[in-house]
Amino acid sequence: MRTNDKVTGVVTAAFGAAVIYASLDLKNLPRQEYGAGTFPTVIGALLILFGAILLVRGLRNREVWFAWQHPVPLITFIMTLAAICASIVAYIYLTPIVGFPVVSFVLLTLLLYTFHHRRWLPAGGIALVATGVIWEVFGQLLHVPLELGLLEKVIY
Amino acid sequence: MSDLLQAATMVFTWEVMLIILAASLFGLFMGAIPGLTATMATALLVPVTFFMEPLPAIAAIVSATAMAIVAGDIPGALLRIPGTPASAVYTEEAYAMGKQGKVGLALGLNVTCSMIGGVIGVLILAFFAPRIAEFAIQFTSDEYFWLALLGLSCAILVSGRDPLKGGISMLAGLVIAMVGMDSVSGQMRFTFGNYDLLAGISILPVLIGLFAISELIRRMPETRNPAPIVPPVIKRPFEGVGSTLWKYKGGVLRGGALGTVIGSLPGAGADIASWISYAVSRKFSRTPEKFGKGHPEGLVSASSANNASLSGAYIPALVFGIPGDTVTAIIIGVLMTKGITPGPDVFTDQAPLVNAIFMVFVLANLLLLPLGFMAIRGARHILSIPTGILFPLILMFCIVGAFAANNAMFDIWIMLGIGLMGFFMAENDFPVGPMILAVILGPIVESNFMRSILKSNGDLTAFVDRPIAMVLAIAAVAVWSMIIVNGVKAGRKAPQAEEATQPQDA
Repeated sequence: MRTNDKVTGVVTAAFGAAVIYASLDLKNLPRQEYGAGTFPTVIGALLILFGAILLVRGLRNREVWFAWQHPVPLITFIMTLAAICASIVAYIYLTPIVGFPVVSFVLLTLLLYTFHHRRWLPAGGIALVATGVIWEVFGQLLHVPLELGLLEKVIY
Repeated sequence: MSDLLQAATMVFTWEVMLIILAASLFGLFMGAIPGLTATMATALLVPVTFFMEPLPAIAAIVSATAMAIVAGDIPGALLRIPGTPASAVYTEEAYAMGKQGKVGLALGLNVTCSMIGGVIGVLILAFFAPRIAEFAIQFTSDEYFWLALLGLSCAILVSGRDPLKGGISMLAGLVIAMVGMDSVSGQMRFTFGNYDLLAGISILPVLIGLFAISELIRRMPETRNPAPIVPPVIKRPFEGVGSTLWKYKGGVLRGGALGTVIGSLPGAGADIASWISYAVSRKFSRTPEKFGKGHPEGLVSASSANNASLSGAYIPALVFGIPGDTVTAIIIGVLMTKGITPGPDVFTDQAPLVNAIFMVFVLANLLLLPLGFMAIRGARHILSIPTGILFPLILMFCIVGAFAANNAMFDIWIMLGIGLMGFFMAENDFPVGPMILAVILGPIVESNFMRSILKSNGDLTAFVDRPIAMVLAIAAVAVWSMIIVNGVKAGRKAPQAEEATQPQDA
């Protein structure tokens, strides 16, 4: 998704202004003209300068505001992006309640079904093995606290 | 001598050997799949290395990267699709050799030259790094401030076609680095009352977001309409490699030396090393007209250069703590989390560790030969793995990996946000390399600036009152002027080019 330099220039400059604004309350070191706000202010100022140059460039060239340049259709991209974001958000909210094994298995099955051959059995099989491997590597070997969730009651 | 023996006892353990082997196999797999880069392999490996001791962690990253670069040559020669950007320059050459029935020779040369180039790079690294470190031990915070700033600036210049966008990428990285508690005054910056941001943004979710999630967003939509991959059969790999190598021995050695030097420049990675080496090889060739038509002369030189550059990148990383590329930026991040700050002191305080790192480099490069042979033989199987299976598994691995560093769900949000930003940046020609370098170097630049300013009681001239600091300052100012001038020039050229093409289009 290509965006005209006018848009990115304005966004960059606005971001720089926001950085400077957020740095205004930071106090200098005692008896110094410098402090925690010095660097963010310099960075913010440079972002405004670079954003302005980008904006001028965008005004000079005659590109469209937004352009889709991928070989895949935009709708396919949006659906895939939604699937990725939804998977991540679902993991964040569901894992503390349902537990890692169930969430990982369900998400992987859905993703594998969608992006591979649209057959539930192979998708479920691969998801089961992958969930088991990630559980063993991260949960058991590296001691990352992946929650068992619902399975805790079943197993113990 | 005792340092060397101590280093050998650190390296030659079952744990380190197994990690080198496993990481090499992982790198082989990642590099051979088109679209999965060596940097992505490193980013995915970091969550695992967080739980290792410093040496095995570095061994894993070094082995995976070296192997990924070599494996990236395989889809290039077989399918005309470079596995990693570092292989792109000689993909056409290797593919043309394949059409002449010499695909085994092309891949054999890739693997052997990569091994030779890698070893040349390690020898140069092991010889020069301690000597530069002896010199660098005199540096104060003034020199380190300018050096880190120069490192960031050079990264912008060499990172892409548009230095202005590289500069914006770097500045955004610096903002990310400033989130959390200020190390000098203890004040909170950009946390907006969020307790999860008090300790700052962890490097791991940023890495995974920038190099893995953004790539998944780009590549996953293509899995719905996958092009059938039918790699040809490879007959007699390595046949004729010896005689071809002997014929172009000068090119192999030159590629190794050139790759190391280019790799040591901040921001210039394996891809730039192979491009320049290929161009130099063509310039010095007696038969430049054969280049691009299945001639091995440029291929041997560029193959040697891209692996040598990996070693070269460790010169500034180990000596000054200034990463030469994204992979060394990741390694510095890993070392810092383990309480080791790379710099000249490491060469005196932790000499056995430094020597052990050099040994690991040699081992990882020697291992390229047998594993590379294995990869060529098994290429058909690796390339036939559907990306529709691979990408969902990588996504789940990313989620768990981002969580693993701090056991925090908030880091998964960071990963997603940075991934979306990385995708937008890549789509609009913003290089992501300067951003990750800035996340690592930002605190170094700021802390050295504040240290110098406190030391000099606010006197800015103290930054340039030492000769080396003065030279570095002039270089940094010159580079920044170039960035701004080139950015403005690029803007002027664009409409002119557009006007020039319009009548033809019409």
